[in-house]
Amino acid sequence: MQDSAWGWLIITYLFLAGAGSGAFIAAVACDLLAPDWSKALARAGSLVSGPLVVIGTLCLVLDLEAGFWQPWRQIYMVNNLRSMISWGFIILSIFIPIALVYAAALNEITFVGKLAQKYITIIEIIGSIFAVATATYTGVLIAVVNGVPFWNTPLMPVLFLASAVSTGLAAAMIVAAIIDVNTIKTLSNFALGHVIFLSVEALVLMLFVFMSLTRSTEAAASAGMLITGILSPYFWGLVVILGLVVPFILSIFEFLEYGKMPKSLVVGADILVLVGGMSIRALIIFSGTHPQIIS
Amino acid sequence: MPRYGIAIDTTKCIGCHSCRVACQNQNSLESNETFNWIKHLDRGRYPSYNKQFIPLQCNHCENAPCQRVCPTGATYTSNEGVVLVNSKTCVGCKYCMEACPYKMRIIDHRRGIVEKCRLCIELVREGGVPACVTTCPTQVRVFGDLDDPNSAISRFIASTGAQPLRPDLGTLPKIFYKRS
Ligand code: SF4
Ligand code: SF4
Repeated sequence: MQDSAWGWLIITYLFLAGAGSGAFIAAVACDLLAPDWSKALARAGSLVSGPLVVIGTLCLVLDLEAGFWQPWRQIYMVNNLRSMISWGFIILSIFIPIALVYAAALNEITFVGKLAQKYITIIEIIGSIFAVATATYTGVLIAVVNGVPFWNTPLMPVLFLASAVSTGLAAAMIVAAIIDVNTIKTLSNFALGHVIFLSVEALVLMLFVFMSLTRSTEAAASAGMLITGILSPYFWGLVVILGLVVPFILSIFEFLEYGKMPKSLVVGADILVLVGGMSIRALIIFSGTHPQIIS
Repeated sequence: MPRYGIAIDTTKCIGCHSCRVACQNQNSLESNETFNWIKHLDRGRYPSYNKQFIPLQCNHCENAPCQRVCPTGATYTSNEGVVLVNSKTCVGCKYCMEACPYKMRIIDHRRGIVEKCRLCIELVREGGVPACVTTCPTQVRVFGDLDDPNSAISRFIASTGAQPLRPDLGTLPKIFYKRS
Protein backbone atom coordinates (compact mmCIF):
# COMPACT_ATOMS: atom_id res chain seq x y z
CA MET A 1 0.00 0.00 0.00
CA GLN A 2 1.74 3.05 -1.27
CA ASP A 3 1.27 6.71 -0.42
CA SER A 4 1.23 9.24 -3.23
CA ALA A 5 3.88 8.37 -5.80
CA TRP A 6 4.14 11.93 -7.05
CA GLY A 7 5.70 14.80 -5.15
CA TRP A 8 7.30 18.21 -5.55
CA LEU A 9 8.88 17.58 -8.96
CA ILE A 10 5.51 16.79 -10.53
CA ILE A 11 3.87 19.69 -8.67
CA THR A 12 6.55 22.07 -9.97
CA TYR A 13 6.06 20.68 -13.44
CA LEU A 14 2.29 21.19 -13.32
CA PHE A 15 2.84 24.75 -12.13
CA LEU A 16 5.56 25.76 -14.61
CA ALA A 17 3.81 24.18 -17.59
CA GLY A 18 0.69 26.14 -16.61
CA ALA A 19 2.48 29.45 -16.06
CA GLY A 20 4.55 29.05 -19.24
CA SER A 21 1.58 28.28 -21.48
CA GLY A 22 -0.43 31.04 -19.77
CA ALA A 23 2.39 33.52 -20.46
CA PHE A 24 2.23 32.54 -24.13
CA ILE A 25 -1.51 33.18 -24.23
CA ALA A 26 -1.01 36.54 -22.49
CA ALA A 27 1.72 37.50 -24.98
CA VAL A 28 -0.40 36.61 -28.00
CA ALA A 29 -3.40 38.45 -26.60
CA CYS A 30 -1.30 41.59 -26.08
CA ASP A 31 0.34 41.38 -29.46
CA LEU A 32 -2.89 40.87 -31.38
CA LEU A 33 -5.50 42.77 -29.46
CA ALA A 34 -3.86 45.62 -27.60
CA PRO A 35 -2.28 48.75 -29.01
CA ASP A 36 1.38 49.68 -29.10
CA TRP A 37 1.89 50.34 -25.40
CA SER A 38 1.30 46.67 -24.65
CA LYS A 39 4.18 45.43 -26.78
CA ALA A 40 6.52 45.30 -23.76
CA LEU A 41 4.20 42.83 -22.09
CA ALA A 42 3.91 40.73 -25.24
CA ARG A 43 7.68 40.60 -25.47
CA ALA A 44 8.07 39.71 -21.81
CA GLY A 45 5.41 37.00 -22.01
CA SER A 46 6.99 35.40 -25.03
CA LEU A 47 10.45 35.52 -23.42
CA VAL A 48 9.37 33.78 -20.25
CA SER A 49 6.96 31.24 -21.77
CA GLY A 50 9.35 28.76 -23.41
CA PRO A 51 11.93 28.67 -20.59
CA LEU A 52 9.25 28.06 -17.93
CA VAL A 53 7.85 25.10 -19.84
CA VAL A 54 11.35 23.77 -20.51
CA ILE A 55 12.29 23.92 -16.81
CA GLY A 56 8.98 22.28 -15.96
CA THR A 57 9.60 19.49 -18.44
CA LEU A 58 13.07 18.96 -16.94
CA CYS A 59 11.39 18.43 -13.56
CA LEU A 60 9.13 15.85 -15.18
CA VAL A 61 12.13 14.03 -16.67
CA LEU A 62 14.00 14.22 -13.34
CA ASP A 63 11.05 12.47 -11.71
CA LEU A 64 11.42 9.51 -14.08
CA GLU A 65 13.60 6.72 -12.81
CA ALA A 66 14.72 4.21 -15.48
CA GLY A 67 13.67 6.77 -18.12
CA PHE A 68 16.06 9.29 -16.58
CA TRP A 69 19.11 7.03 -16.22
CA GLN A 70 18.49 5.39 -19.59
CA PRO A 71 17.04 8.32 -21.56
CA TRP A 72 16.58 6.28 -24.75
CA ARG A 73 13.68 4.61 -22.99
CA GLN A 74 11.78 7.89 -23.38
CA ILE A 75 11.01 7.05 -27.00
CA TYR A 76 8.52 4.50 -25.67
CA MET A 77 6.58 7.30 -24.02
CA VAL A 78 4.34 7.89 -27.05
CA ASN A 79 3.28 4.24 -27.25
CA ASN A 80 -0.14 4.48 -25.67
CA LEU A 81 -2.57 7.07 -26.96
CA ARG A 82 -4.98 6.23 -24.16
CA SER A 83 -2.40 7.65 -21.73
CA MET A 84 -2.33 11.38 -21.04
CA ILE A 85 1.45 11.19 -20.58
CA SER A 86 1.79 10.11 -24.22
CA TRP A 87 -0.38 13.06 -25.25
CA GLY A 88 1.65 15.36 -23.02
CA PHE A 89 4.86 14.16 -24.63
CA ILE A 90 3.46 15.03 -28.07
CA ILE A 91 1.96 18.38 -27.02
CA LEU A 92 5.15 19.51 -25.26
CA SER A 93 7.36 18.45 -28.17
CA ILE A 94 5.36 20.76 -30.41
CA PHE A 95 4.68 23.62 -28.00
CA ILE A 96 8.23 24.13 -26.68
CA PRO A 97 9.84 24.87 -30.08
CA ILE A 98 6.93 27.14 -31.06
CA ALA A 99 7.26 29.10 -27.80
CA LEU A 100 11.02 29.52 -28.27
CA VAL A 101 10.63 30.64 -31.89
CA TYR A 102 7.89 33.07 -30.86
CA ALA A 103 10.20 34.63 -28.26
CA ALA A 104 12.86 34.99 -30.96
CA ALA A 105 10.35 36.63 -33.31
CA LEU A 106 8.92 39.19 -30.91
CA ASN A 107 12.33 40.11 -29.53
CA GLU A 108 14.12 39.96 -32.87
CA ILE A 109 16.67 37.46 -31.64
CA THR A 110 19.02 36.23 -34.41
CA PHE A 111 18.04 35.41 -37.96
CA VAL A 112 15.55 32.82 -36.70
CA GLY A 113 13.58 35.68 -35.16
CA LYS A 114 13.72 37.75 -38.31
CA LEU A 115 12.55 34.83 -40.39
CA ALA A 116 9.81 33.90 -37.94
CA GLN A 117 8.46 37.46 -37.96
CA LYS A 118 7.15 36.87 -41.46
CA TYR A 119 4.95 34.05 -40.19
CA ILE A 120 4.05 35.65 -36.89
CA THR A 121 0.27 35.28 -37.20
CA ILE A 122 0.51 31.58 -38.01
CA ILE A 123 2.88 31.07 -35.07
CA GLU A 124 0.47 32.91 -32.81
CA ILE A 125 -2.56 30.89 -33.88
CA ILE A 126 -0.95 27.44 -33.76
CA GLY A 127 1.03 28.36 -30.65
CA SER A 128 -2.12 29.47 -28.83
CA ILE A 129 -3.83 26.20 -29.61
CA PHE A 130 -0.90 24.26 -28.18
CA ALA A 131 -0.62 26.61 -25.20
CA VAL A 132 -4.25 25.91 -24.31
CA ALA A 133 -3.59 22.21 -24.91
CA THR A 134 -0.59 22.26 -22.55
CA ALA A 135 -2.45 24.04 -19.78
CA THR A 136 -5.53 21.85 -20.13
CA TYR A 137 -3.84 18.47 -20.48
CA THR A 138 -1.99 18.94 -17.17
CA GLY A 139 -5.45 19.01 -15.59
CA VAL A 140 -6.69 16.02 -17.61
CA LEU A 141 -3.50 14.16 -16.63
CA ILE A 142 -4.61 13.99 -13.04
CA ALA A 143 -8.38 14.10 -13.68
CA VAL A 144 -8.29 10.60 -15.24
CA VAL A 145 -6.46 9.00 -12.32
CA ASN A 146 -8.84 6.33 -10.93
CA GLY A 147 -6.72 5.92 -7.82
CA VAL A 148 -7.69 9.37 -6.49
CA PRO A 149 -11.43 10.12 -6.65
CA PHE A 150 -10.89 13.77 -5.60
CA TRP A 151 -9.16 14.40 -8.92
CA ASN A 152 -11.80 12.69 -11.12
CA THR A 153 -13.75 15.73 -12.22
CA PRO A 154 -14.01 17.64 -15.50
CA LEU A 155 -13.59 20.81 -13.42
CA MET A 156 -9.92 19.90 -12.93
CA PRO A 157 -8.75 20.88 -16.45
CA VAL A 158 -10.92 24.01 -16.25
CA LEU A 159 -9.27 24.96 -12.96
CA PHE A 160 -5.81 24.29 -14.38
CA LEU A 161 -6.54 26.42 -17.46
CA ALA A 162 -7.89 29.29 -15.36
CA SER A 163 -4.87 29.12 -13.08
CA ALA A 164 -2.52 28.92 -16.07
CA VAL A 165 -3.92 32.13 -17.52
CA SER A 166 -3.67 34.09 -14.27
CA THR A 167 -0.20 32.79 -13.37
CA GLY A 168 0.95 33.29 -16.97
CA LEU A 169 -0.15 36.92 -16.95
CA ALA A 170 1.58 37.39 -13.59
CA ALA A 171 4.85 35.87 -14.87
CA ALA A 172 4.71 38.08 -17.97
CA MET A 173 4.10 41.21 -15.87
CA ILE A 174 7.02 40.45 -13.55
CA VAL A 175 9.37 40.03 -16.50
CA ALA A 176 7.99 43.18 -18.16
CA ALA A 177 8.74 45.14 -15.00
CA ILE A 178 12.26 43.74 -14.95
CA ILE A 179 13.22 44.29 -18.59
CA ASP A 180 11.56 47.67 -18.96
CA VAL A 181 11.15 49.82 -15.86
CA ASN A 182 9.00 52.33 -17.70
CA THR A 183 6.28 49.82 -18.37
CA ILE A 184 5.13 50.04 -14.80
CA LYS A 185 2.50 52.58 -15.80
CA THR A 186 1.23 50.57 -18.71
CA LEU A 187 1.08 47.48 -16.53
CA SER A 188 -1.88 49.06 -14.82
CA ASN A 189 -3.82 48.39 -17.99
CA PHE A 190 -3.50 44.71 -17.30
CA ALA A 191 -4.58 44.89 -13.70
CA LEU A 192 -8.12 44.51 -15.00
CA GLY A 193 -7.01 41.23 -16.60
CA HIS A 194 -5.90 40.01 -13.20
CA VAL A 195 -9.21 41.02 -11.65
CA ILE A 196 -11.13 39.03 -14.26
CA PHE A 197 -8.91 35.94 -14.34
CA LEU A 198 -8.59 35.73 -10.56
CA SER A 199 -12.38 35.90 -10.25
CA VAL A 200 -12.83 33.09 -12.76
CA GLU A 201 -10.20 31.01 -10.98
CA ALA A 202 -11.80 31.63 -7.59
CA LEU A 203 -15.19 30.61 -8.94
CA VAL A 204 -13.90 27.37 -10.48
CA LEU A 205 -11.89 26.58 -7.35
CA MET A 206 -14.96 27.07 -5.19
CA LEU A 207 -17.08 24.82 -7.43
CA PHE A 208 -14.36 22.17 -7.47
CA VAL A 209 -13.76 22.05 -3.73
CA PHE A 210 -17.35 22.35 -2.54
CA MET A 211 -18.84 20.01 -5.12
CA SER A 212 -16.25 17.44 -4.06
CA LEU A 213 -17.91 17.31 -0.67
CA THR A 214 -20.81 15.39 -2.21
CA ARG A 215 -19.08 13.48 -5.04
CA SER A 216 -17.79 10.49 -3.08
CA THR A 217 -16.54 9.64 0.39
CA GLU A 218 -12.92 9.88 -0.72
CA ALA A 219 -13.38 13.17 -2.59
CA ALA A 220 -15.17 14.56 0.45
CA ALA A 221 -12.29 13.47 2.68
CA SER A 222 -9.82 15.28 0.43
CA ALA A 223 -11.93 18.43 0.23
CA GLY A 224 -12.35 18.25 4.01
CA MET A 225 -8.57 18.22 4.45
CA LEU A 226 -8.46 21.51 2.54
CA ILE A 227 -11.45 23.26 4.09
CA THR A 228 -11.13 22.35 7.74
CA GLY A 229 -8.55 19.60 8.01
CA ILE A 230 -4.82 19.27 8.27
CA LEU A 231 -4.07 21.24 5.08
CA SER A 232 -6.57 24.03 5.78
CA PRO A 233 -4.01 26.62 7.03
CA TYR A 234 -2.22 26.31 3.69
CA PHE A 235 -5.41 26.28 1.66
CA TRP A 236 -6.94 29.37 3.26
CA GLY A 237 -3.63 31.15 3.87
CA LEU A 238 -1.60 30.50 0.73
CA VAL A 239 -4.24 29.80 -1.90
CA VAL A 240 -7.28 31.83 -0.90
CA ILE A 241 -5.92 34.86 0.99
CA LEU A 242 -2.40 35.35 -0.41
CA GLY A 243 -3.02 33.82 -3.83
CA LEU A 244 -6.47 35.17 -4.66
CA VAL A 245 -7.88 37.82 -2.28
CA VAL A 246 -4.80 40.01 -1.75
CA PRO A 247 -3.75 40.18 -5.42
CA PHE A 248 -7.40 40.75 -6.36
CA ILE A 249 -7.63 43.79 -4.07
CA LEU A 250 -4.18 45.07 -5.12
CA SER A 251 -5.14 44.74 -8.78
CA ILE A 252 -8.31 46.77 -8.25
CA PHE A 253 -6.28 49.57 -6.64
CA GLU A 254 -3.67 49.26 -9.36
CA PHE A 255 -6.36 49.79 -11.95
CA LEU A 256 -7.97 52.70 -10.11
CA GLU A 257 -4.73 54.47 -9.24
CA TYR A 258 -3.54 53.93 -12.79
CA GLY A 259 0.22 53.97 -12.82
CA LYS A 260 0.67 55.62 -9.44
CA MET A 261 0.94 52.45 -7.44
CA PRO A 262 4.45 51.67 -6.13
CA LYS A 263 6.26 49.18 -8.28
CA SER A 264 6.84 46.88 -5.33
CA LEU A 265 3.09 46.45 -4.86
CA VAL A 266 2.47 45.83 -8.56
CA VAL A 267 5.15 43.15 -8.74
CA GLY A 268 4.20 41.93 -5.27
CA ALA A 269 0.66 41.17 -6.42
CA ASP A 270 2.04 39.19 -9.35
CA ILE A 271 4.38 37.20 -7.11
CA LEU A 272 1.45 36.36 -4.85
CA VAL A 273 -0.52 35.05 -7.85
CA LEU A 274 2.40 32.72 -8.60
CA VAL A 275 2.58 31.59 -4.96
CA GLY A 276 -1.14 30.82 -5.10
CA GLY A 277 -0.79 28.89 -8.38
CA MET A 278 2.02 26.72 -7.02
CA SER A 279 0.21 26.15 -3.71
CA ILE A 280 -3.08 25.05 -5.23
CA ARG A 281 -1.31 22.41 -7.27
CA ALA A 282 0.68 21.17 -4.29
CA LEU A 283 -2.46 20.97 -2.19
CA ILE A 284 -4.41 19.10 -4.87
CA ILE A 285 -1.64 16.50 -5.10
CA PHE A 286 -1.12 16.17 -1.35
CA SER A 287 -4.81 15.99 -0.46
CA GLY A 288 -5.43 13.10 -2.89
CA THR A 289 -6.80 10.15 -0.93
CA HIS A 290 -7.30 6.74 -2.46
CA PRO A 291 -10.40 4.56 -2.09
CA GLN A 292 -10.78 2.66 1.13
CA ILE A 293 -10.55 -0.89 -0.15
CA ILE A 294 -11.37 -2.92 2.94
CA SER A 295 -13.96 -2.35 5.62
CA MET B 1 -6.27 -19.59 -22.97
CA PRO B 2 -6.83 -19.72 -19.20
CA ARG B 3 -7.76 -16.70 -17.12
CA TYR B 4 -5.92 -17.02 -13.83
CA GLY B 5 -6.98 -15.71 -10.48
CA ILE B 6 -6.72 -16.41 -6.76
CA ALA B 7 -9.52 -16.83 -4.25
CA ILE B 8 -8.69 -16.02 -0.64
CA ASP B 9 -10.55 -17.42 2.35
CA THR B 10 -9.92 -14.70 4.93
CA THR B 11 -11.73 -16.71 7.60
CA LYS B 12 -8.78 -19.09 7.62
CA CYS B 13 -5.99 -16.46 7.53
CA ILE B 14 -3.97 -16.32 10.75
CA GLY B 15 -1.88 -13.31 9.72
CA CYS B 16 1.43 -15.21 9.73
CA HIS B 17 2.94 -13.29 6.77
CA SER B 18 4.27 -16.52 5.22
CA CYS B 19 2.89 -15.54 1.80
CA ARG B 20 4.69 -12.22 1.98
CA VAL B 21 8.00 -13.86 2.85
CA ALA B 22 7.62 -16.55 0.18
CA CYS B 23 6.85 -13.83 -2.36
CA GLN B 24 9.88 -11.78 -1.28
CA ASN B 25 12.12 -14.79 -1.76
CA GLN B 26 10.53 -15.79 -5.04
CA ASN B 27 10.95 -12.29 -6.46
CA SER B 28 14.31 -11.40 -4.80
CA LEU B 29 12.77 -8.46 -2.95
CA GLU B 30 14.46 -6.51 -0.16
CA SER B 31 12.94 -6.96 3.29
CA ASN B 32 11.20 -3.59 3.04
CA GLU B 33 9.75 -4.29 -0.42
CA THR B 34 6.65 -6.36 -0.88
CA PHE B 35 3.93 -7.28 -3.34
CA ASN B 36 1.79 -8.63 -0.50
CA TRP B 37 0.23 -6.70 2.35
CA ILE B 38 -1.63 -8.28 5.26
CA LYS B 39 -4.16 -5.78 6.61
CA HIS B 40 -5.63 -6.12 10.08
CA LEU B 41 -9.22 -5.26 10.72
CA ASP B 42 -10.58 -4.96 14.24
CA ARG B 43 -14.11 -6.23 14.56
CA GLY B 44 -16.65 -6.07 17.35
CA ARG B 45 -16.03 -5.44 21.04
CA TYR B 46 -15.26 -7.52 24.07
CA PRO B 47 -16.46 -10.25 24.60
CA SER B 48 -16.94 -10.87 20.90
CA TYR B 49 -13.94 -8.89 19.70
CA ASN B 50 -11.97 -10.45 16.86
CA LYS B 51 -9.31 -9.53 14.39
CA GLN B 52 -9.60 -10.26 10.70
CA PHE B 53 -6.57 -10.56 8.45
CA ILE B 54 -6.91 -9.62 4.81
CA PRO B 55 -4.03 -10.38 2.44
CA LEU B 56 -3.79 -7.80 -0.36
CA GLN B 57 -1.96 -7.90 -3.66
CA CYS B 58 -2.42 -6.77 -7.26
CA ASN B 59 -5.90 -7.81 -8.41
CA HIS B 60 -4.90 -8.40 -12.04
CA CYS B 61 -7.87 -6.28 -13.05
CA GLU B 62 -9.60 -7.19 -16.28
CA ASN B 63 -10.19 -3.49 -16.89
CA ALA B 64 -6.92 -2.26 -15.44
CA PRO B 65 -6.53 1.52 -14.91
CA CYS B 66 -2.75 1.07 -14.49
CA GLN B 67 -2.54 -0.33 -18.01
CA ARG B 68 -4.77 2.37 -19.48
CA VAL B 69 -2.56 5.21 -18.22
CA CYS B 70 0.85 3.62 -18.90
CA PRO B 71 2.41 5.80 -21.63
CA THR B 72 5.04 3.28 -22.72
CA GLY B 73 2.80 0.22 -22.88
CA ALA B 74 5.17 -1.38 -20.33
CA THR B 75 2.13 -2.46 -18.34
CA TYR B 76 0.26 -5.10 -20.31
CA THR B 77 -2.04 -8.05 -19.82
CA SER B 78 -0.63 -11.42 -20.82
CA ASN B 79 -2.91 -13.81 -22.65
CA GLU B 80 -3.36 -15.69 -19.38
CA GLY B 81 -5.03 -12.54 -18.00
CA VAL B 82 -2.05 -11.63 -15.81
CA VAL B 83 -1.16 -7.92 -15.60
CA LEU B 84 2.61 -7.59 -16.01
CA VAL B 85 5.25 -4.85 -16.30
CA ASN B 86 7.89 -5.02 -19.01
CA SER B 87 11.11 -4.09 -17.21
CA LYS B 88 12.81 -3.11 -20.46
CA THR B 89 10.36 -0.37 -21.46
CA CYS B 90 9.07 1.01 -18.13
CA VAL B 91 10.43 4.55 -17.59
CA GLY B 92 9.42 4.85 -13.93
CA CYS B 93 6.94 7.69 -14.44
CA LYS B 94 4.77 6.26 -11.64
CA TYR B 95 1.52 7.23 -13.40
CA CYS B 96 0.31 3.63 -12.91
CA MET B 97 0.95 3.87 -9.17
CA GLU B 98 -1.33 6.90 -8.99
CA ALA B 99 -3.95 5.26 -11.21
CA CYS B 100 -4.25 1.95 -9.32
CA PRO B 101 -7.21 2.43 -6.97
CA TYR B 102 -5.92 -0.43 -4.81
CA LYS B 103 -2.42 1.11 -4.51
CA MET B 104 -0.82 -2.27 -5.19
CA ARG B 105 2.27 -1.12 -7.08
CA ILE B 106 5.70 -0.21 -5.75
CA ILE B 107 8.69 1.48 -7.33
CA ASP B 108 11.98 -0.38 -7.34
CA HIS B 109 14.50 2.46 -7.00
CA ARG B 110 17.44 0.20 -7.81
CA ARG B 111 16.13 -0.66 -11.26
CA GLY B 112 14.06 2.50 -11.64
CA ILE B 113 10.93 0.63 -12.63
CA VAL B 114 7.56 -0.16 -11.15
CA GLU B 115 6.87 -3.65 -9.82
CA LYS B 116 3.98 -5.59 -8.36
CA CYS B 117 2.56 -9.10 -7.96
CA ARG B 118 3.20 -11.11 -11.14
CA LEU B 119 1.18 -14.12 -10.09
CA CYS B 120 4.53 -15.99 -10.30
CA ILE B 121 3.92 -16.32 -14.01
CA GLU B 122 7.17 -18.27 -14.65
CA LEU B 123 6.15 -20.95 -12.14
CA VAL B 124 2.61 -21.04 -13.50
CA ARG B 125 3.79 -21.45 -17.09
CA GLU B 126 5.79 -24.49 -15.98
CA GLY B 127 2.64 -25.99 -14.50
CA GLY B 128 3.15 -24.76 -10.93
CA VAL B 129 1.21 -22.35 -8.75
CA PRO B 130 2.24 -19.00 -7.22
CA ALA B 131 4.60 -19.15 -4.22
CA CYS B 132 2.09 -17.52 -1.86
CA VAL B 133 -0.42 -20.26 -2.65
CA THR B 134 2.00 -23.16 -2.04
CA THR B 135 3.41 -21.71 1.14
CA CYS B 136 0.24 -20.79 3.02
CA PRO B 137 0.12 -23.09 6.09
CA THR B 138 -3.67 -22.83 6.47
CA GLN B 139 -4.41 -23.08 2.75
CA VAL B 140 -6.19 -19.78 2.56
CA ARG B 141 -5.46 -19.40 -1.14
CA VAL B 142 -6.99 -21.20 -4.11
CA PHE B 143 -5.30 -20.62 -7.46
CA GLY B 144 -6.70 -21.56 -10.85
CA ASP B 145 -8.50 -20.82 -14.09
CA LEU B 146 -11.58 -18.65 -13.65
CA ASP B 147 -12.88 -19.64 -17.08
CA ASP B 148 -12.97 -23.35 -16.23
CA PRO B 149 -16.16 -24.01 -14.26
CA ASN B 150 -14.67 -27.20 -12.81
CA SER B 151 -11.45 -25.65 -11.49
CA ALA B 152 -10.96 -25.48 -7.73
CA ILE B 153 -11.18 -21.69 -7.79
CA SER B 154 -14.42 -21.58 -9.78
CA ARG B 155 -16.01 -24.10 -7.44
CA PHE B 156 -14.75 -22.18 -4.40
CA ILE B 157 -16.24 -18.93 -5.70
CA ALA B 158 -19.51 -20.62 -6.63
CA SER B 159 -19.91 -22.32 -3.25
CA THR B 160 -18.79 -19.42 -1.02
CA GLY B 161 -20.00 -16.42 -3.01
CA ALA B 162 -16.51 -14.89 -2.75
CA GLN B 163 -16.35 -11.32 -4.09
CA PRO B 164 -13.56 -9.02 -5.27
CA LEU B 165 -12.69 -6.02 -3.10
CA ARG B 166 -14.64 -2.88 -4.04
CA PRO B 167 -16.23 -4.33 -7.21
CA ASP B 168 -18.02 -0.97 -7.52
CA LEU B 169 -14.75 0.58 -8.72
CA GLY B 170 -15.38 -1.23 -12.00
CA THR B 171 -11.88 -2.61 -12.58
CA LEU B 172 -13.05 -6.28 -12.61
CA PRO B 173 -10.45 -7.76 -10.24
CA LYS B 174 -9.38 -11.43 -10.46
CA ILE B 175 -8.59 -11.84 -6.75
CA PHE B 176 -11.69 -12.97 -4.85
CA TYR B 177 -12.30 -12.84 -1.11
CA LYS B 178 -14.43 -14.92 1.17
CA ARG B 179 -15.16 -12.67 4.16
CA SER B 180 -17.12 -13.36 7.28
S1 SF4 C 1 -4.84 -3.94 -8.75
FE1 SF4 C 1 -3.88 -2.04 -9.44
S2 SF4 C 1 -1.93 -2.68 -10.30
FE2 SF4 C 1 -3.20 -4.51 -10.19
S3 SF4 C 1 -4.20 -4.64 -12.21
FE3 SF4 C 1 -5.61 -3.56 -10.82
S4 SF4 C 1 -5.14 -1.39 -11.19
FE4 SF4 C 1 -3.41 -2.55 -11.99
S1 SF4 D 1 5.99 3.65 -14.27
FE1 SF4 D 1 6.39 2.17 -15.93
S2 SF4 D 1 4.65 0.75 -15.88
FE2 SF4 D 1 4.07 2.56 -14.68
S3 SF4 D 1 2.99 3.91 -16.10
FE3 SF4 D 1 5.13 4.57 -16.12
S4 SF4 D 1 6.08 3.41 -17.79
FE4 SF4 D 1 4.13 2.38 -17.33
